[in-house]
Amino acid sequence: MVRVRSPQDFWAGILFILFGCAALWFGRDYAFGTLTKMGPGYLPAVLSWALVAIGGLLTARALAIDGPAIERSQVVPQLLILAAIVLFALAIERLGLALAVVLVAVTASLASRDMRWSETIALAIGIAALCVLLFVHLLGQPFVVWAF
Amino acid sequence: MDLFANLATGFGAAVTPVNLGFCLFGCLIGTLIGVLPGIGPIATIAMLLPVTFGLSPLGALIMLAGIYYGAQYGGSTTAILVNLPGESSSVVTCIDGYQMAQKGRAGAALAIAAVGSLFAGCVGTILIAAFAPVLAAFAVKFRSPEYFALMLFGLIAAVILAHGSVVKAVGMVILGLLVGLVGTESQSATARFTFGVPELYDGVDFVPLAMGLFGLAEILSNLDRRRDPRAAATVISSLWPSRAEIRRAAPAVVRGTMIGALLGILPGGGAVLASFAAYTLEKKTSRFPAEFGKGAVEGVAAPEAANNAGAQTSFIPLLTLGIPSNPVMALMMGAMLIQGIAPGTAIISDRPELFWGMVASMWVGNLMLIIINLPLIGIWVRLLRVPYRLLFPCIVVLCCVGAYSVNSSTFLILMMAGFALLGYVFGKLGCEGAPFLLGFVLGPLMEENFRRSMVLSFGDPTIFLRRPISLCILLAGLALIALIIIPQFRSRRDEAFQE
Repeated sequence: MVRVRSPQDFWAGILFILFGCAALWFGRDYAFGTLTKMGPGYLPAVLSWALVAIGGLLTARALAIDGPAIERSQVVPQLLILAAIVLFALAIERLGLALAVVLVAVTASLASRDMRWSETIALAIGIAALCVLLFVHLLGQPFVVWAF
Repeated sequence: MDLFANLATGFGAAVTPVNLGFCLFGCLIGTLIGVLPGIGPIATIAMLLPVTFGLSPLGALIMLAGIYYGAQYGGSTTAILVNLPGESSSVVTCIDGYQMAQKGRAGAALAIAAVGSLFAGCVGTILIAAFAPVLAAFAVKFRSPEYFALMLFGLIAAVILAHGSVVKAVGMVILGLLVGLVGTESQSATARFTFGVPELYDGVDFVPLAMGLFGLAEILSNLDRRRDPRAAATVISSLWPSRAEIRRAAPAVVRGTMIGALLGILPGGGAVLASFAAYTLEKKTSRFPAEFGKGAVEGVAAPEAANNAGAQTSFIPLLTLGIPSNPVMALMMGAMLIQGIAPGTAIISDRPELFWGMVASMWVGNLMLIIINLPLIGIWVRLLRVPYRLLFPCIVVLCCVGAYSVNSSTFLILMMAGFALLGYVFGKLGCEGAPFLLGFVLGPLMEENFRRSMVLSFGDPTIFLRRPISLCILLAGLALIALIIIPQFRSRRDEAFQE
């Protein structure tokens, strides 16, 4: 069994290979053309292959040379932040700017380990007011403040 | 003299109440985010890009530039008082700055950092005013092969000067180039990698990409750290340095300014690299090498001067050639494109009020910053007590609202979340976002210039070698690659980044 000696390099290499293969697959129908008349598929194909090659090099090297381990991820706080962003995307047109901002601020705050409810609610209302003032009143962006 | 007439135009454009206001606002924001650890100029400028939609072009650029060099001033405050880099370019200032603070010389260290930055800022501004027009006049002769060679050189330099593994940086550049190709191809109108999403037909939008990759990814990785690393700030007694300190700091400031100015112009350079290089040089050439790490004045003066000089001169490649040399400049380029200005040789001749107005505003901004940072230092110290748990939800909210305001599309918000995850995962794997962003910005430009070169030469790739200017640029790129392969330089580079 081959041992991975540099986990960071190994997984970075795997990701590069995956992205490169995906680009090759999705770009398979673009015309390649010639050097004089480069088609839309010319550069994507060249770059994808280069990315796969770089990924392969990294992965192979990670089996031979020692490297640092991957720092552990807490997972939950990260998911909460991403969830907050997705929530905003869902809420902005259905609930309007003010409530969407409150939702994001509260959800994101949950990611902190020493979050306090009173503080968070004050923060959420404060920043919602600020966003409405800045984006709608000062910058004149066409946001819906209340959707109902 | 032309220079003075031009500068007069610039001051005429910059010193209006509105533009002075933008300059002050940019400098204040810059100092604020410079002082606060966990948020840097890249994320801030990305977040403020949507705000600039409604501003005048000059006002927008003055404000964004102010954020970048303002952050160089603010970063030193946190480095000296709390031993934390408020901004990545003040990492080295922590070493000796904090030691000086421990010895009760915090005020002196702050004053030296600020005055050194002011000196460097003024020199940097003069350099832009003096050299940018010359370079732009020279670059008028450039055609597609030269531009392609220059961009290639820029990417090579960005890879070699990046922190960490070169191979990973190359991978990130290529990935960035690929993402830059998303959208409708200009020649055949083929939609590439758009998956039928209308928002992608014009290419991946710059604003959500930059906010996700830098602003949000940074929050995600900060949340992995165990606790808020903020300590109580040191008390400041007097701001006046002693005569001995001034005598040692002054030449270090001049040396730092020179290194910073030089490295700022180089593609891939900018404030961070400049401060590292200046510190290393001071340590190597000092008569008191033993004092470094224990509160040497030069260790504060040189890197702080260097990072400000580098921040200023990194505008030169963007304003003269239209090529961004670092991620902040890539964002400035985005801001210009939003305003309908094509960065490049034509800016200085076509929009003199814009170019000279920006140069003049930098000088005014540096003056403002010294006032913002020295007499008002107490306010910024108090801001350091704002805990991160209140700061990051605000950043998340601003990113979300900013991404939506680009064109009222929820797809862009989700795409931003995707880039945040991408930036976080790659960060865990030791891959940096900076080369990715440069590749993304340069990708479409490189394809266009390569294609034109091939049409020019009927498909003969030796065209790049047959034109003297492009040959020189490519040789310079090769020299850089050779440098990295030579083991001696390689170990030096690793050493420089470790310190």
